[in-house]
Amino acid sequence: MRKEPINQISPKGLKVWRLYGLMHSAIIWLLAIGAGVLNWWLEGPWWVMVICVVLPILYTYIFVYLFPKLRWLRWRYEVREQEIELQHGLFVVKRTLVPMVRVQHVDTEQGPILRRYDLASITISTAATNHTIPALITSEADELRSRISTLARVAEDDV
Amino acid sequence: MSNERFKLHPISAAVNFIKGLKDLIFPFIFIFVVNGFQGDSYEGGHWTDFVPYIVGFLVLTIILGSGIIKWKRFVYWFEEDELRIEYGLFVKKKRYIPFERIQSLNYTESILHRPFKLVKVTIETAGSGSAKEAEAELTAITRENAKRIEAEMAIAKKRKANILTDEAISMEDQIHETDTSIPIFKLSMKDLIILATTSGGIGVVFSGVAVFMSQFSDIIPYEKIYDEFVVFLKFGFFIVAISIFVFLLFAWIISVILTTLNYYQFTIVQDNNQIILTRGLLEKKKVSIPIGRVQGIRIVENPLRQLFGYCTVIVESAGGSLEDQDKKIRLFPLVKKSEIKQPLNKLFADFDFEPAWTTSPNEAKPFYYRLDFLWMLPVIAAVSYFYYPYGLLSLLLIPIVLLLGLWQHHSAGFSLHRNQLSLRYRGISKYTFFIEKKRMQSLEMTQSPFQKRKSLASIETTIKSGMLGATAKVDHLKVEDIEKVMTWYEPSGHEVIEKGQPH
Repeated sequence: MRKEPINQISPKGLKVWRLYGLMHSAIIWLLAIGAGVLNWWLEGPWWVMVICVVLPILYTYIFVYLFPKLRWLRWRYEVREQEIELQHGLFVVKRTLVPMVRVQHVDTEQGPILRRYDLASITISTAATNHTIPALITSEADELRSRISTLARVAEDDV
Repeated sequence: MSNERFKLHPISAAVNFIKGLKDLIFPFIFIFVVNGFQGDSYEGGHWTDFVPYIVGFLVLTIILGSGIIKWKRFVYWFEEDELRIEYGLFVKKKRYIPFERIQSLNYTESILHRPFKLVKVTIETAGSGSAKEAEAELTAITRENAKRIEAEMAIAKKRKANILTDEAISMEDQIHETDTSIPIFKLSMKDLIILATTSGGIGVVFSGVAVFMSQFSDIIPYEKIYDEFVVFLKFGFFIVAISIFVFLLFAWIISVILTTLNYYQFTIVQDNNQIILTRGLLEKKKVSIPIGRVQGIRIVENPLRQLFGYCTVIVESAGGSLEDQDKKIRLFPLVKKSEIKQPLNKLFADFDFEPAWTTSPNEAKPFYYRLDFLWMLPVIAAVSYFYYPYGLLSLLLIPIVLLLGLWQHHSAGFSLHRNQLSLRYRGISKYTFFIEKKRMQSLEMTQSPFQKRKSLASIETTIKSGMLGATAKVDHLKVEDIEKVMTWYEPSGHEVIEKGQPH
């Protein structure tokens, strides 16, 4: 078996994902409450009420607790001298290898939520593909970006 | 050095005009159709009825005028080993293209060019910038002038080499003279006809079968049950089947004609480091691909053609522009699979086109059809229930999907051979990809929990093709095999392997 890449992304990334999940869930809760009230108003069957309660709870559990956790546990990356290796996925595990020679440029990006948590995402571009590491501490991301771009410049085409 | 300025041939004004018209054809049709409907409601004529015609006429003159001005303004010349172009309708633009950045010159001769012995020259550069900047176009110049560009480029090249060493060029010259223009492949008339008739063929066959079936159902005594319903169903089915058939037949005839026109006298010639394709009856095209820019080679066999041992060879090439659909260049539009090895080896000596395949293991078989049952069973159940008894025909889906899955399993495979990765897989057509390691932009292994249980995984790699990427993916191979590929691809892992091996 191949070894997993060593580095994990920041635990704060998990928090951010939970926050995203919470935002979805809030919408689902609103819809469910609306449906529940309507059902009560129209004196609909009792099981609609049950659905209106169970569904949002399930949704919240999955998207606030379960999926972010699985995703976070799965996310690994490793920047070695000659290549970058990524591992991510929820159920289906994806492992990607990008040789340094192929790297064309590296970007870091920070949205408003990520900034609140002092996080940034880093995107590695080759001539044909893009690969993103989602949540790193800003200073770490900056350092990684400059490291990759130095390594990419040094790496030689041996073929 | 001559600083003579060249103009395009006047016919390019006409070409510009027609191009402008082509862009406007839909708005025009729209205006006239709308106007036509209005005309019915009005009885008497009023001058306002003519407004669309006046507008149309004005637009036409503007297009014609701009075409002429564009032609008037366009000049090109050679200076300091550069091709310099000056053009622009309102804003004057200059573009200087250094000869060494020119990747290839492609020629097109449309019906307008033919009588005057003119060509349209498209200059492709290795530009990685925006799609539009990637190339320049000389709409219509004489063949002599086109040759002149090539000559100027050659002279510049020689001059440059001269500065380095004198001996080197004389050697080079000799090589060039002996090597120049080796014919590689010519599409025979017979193959052209097969190519044209099988290009969009499957749909016609299917709908033909459907028409036939609808007649056949007379014999099946379902009528006794649901009499009226069946009559309606049969009638409806027949009408639908016939109209689909006619539509597809029509589309097919058009595609046959277009393919014949496009691929008439298709030939490949190798000239130094370029592959030169020429093709076309009404519009003659000459495209050259620098061999060094080839990213990967793909062989496609659709089931119909595979049956007769034919395949298509496609070359993925980097650079060029987005608008150009020709970036996936059909190197051999149609060729007997048994005959491709020799010409391909001549063009791409570094590649091994008959590697030893490692195929998908037996335990992977169910993976190729298992998931399909998820959508298939509900669909079949629903169709069978609502359209009983004809809906039961949907049960036929099961063996079809099963067989396709097994076929896909049979086709899936990979091969590692020195610096070359070969991937083989099937959707409906079978694809065989040959890629050099240095052309692979990234490599990805994916594994679902189900695959993990059986120690399987899928592999995917992306190469550059045109402005974007092309991806090849093989599903359900052995994990250990895929990890071997990962280690082979990994620059640091590769060293480990080489050190580990005795030689």
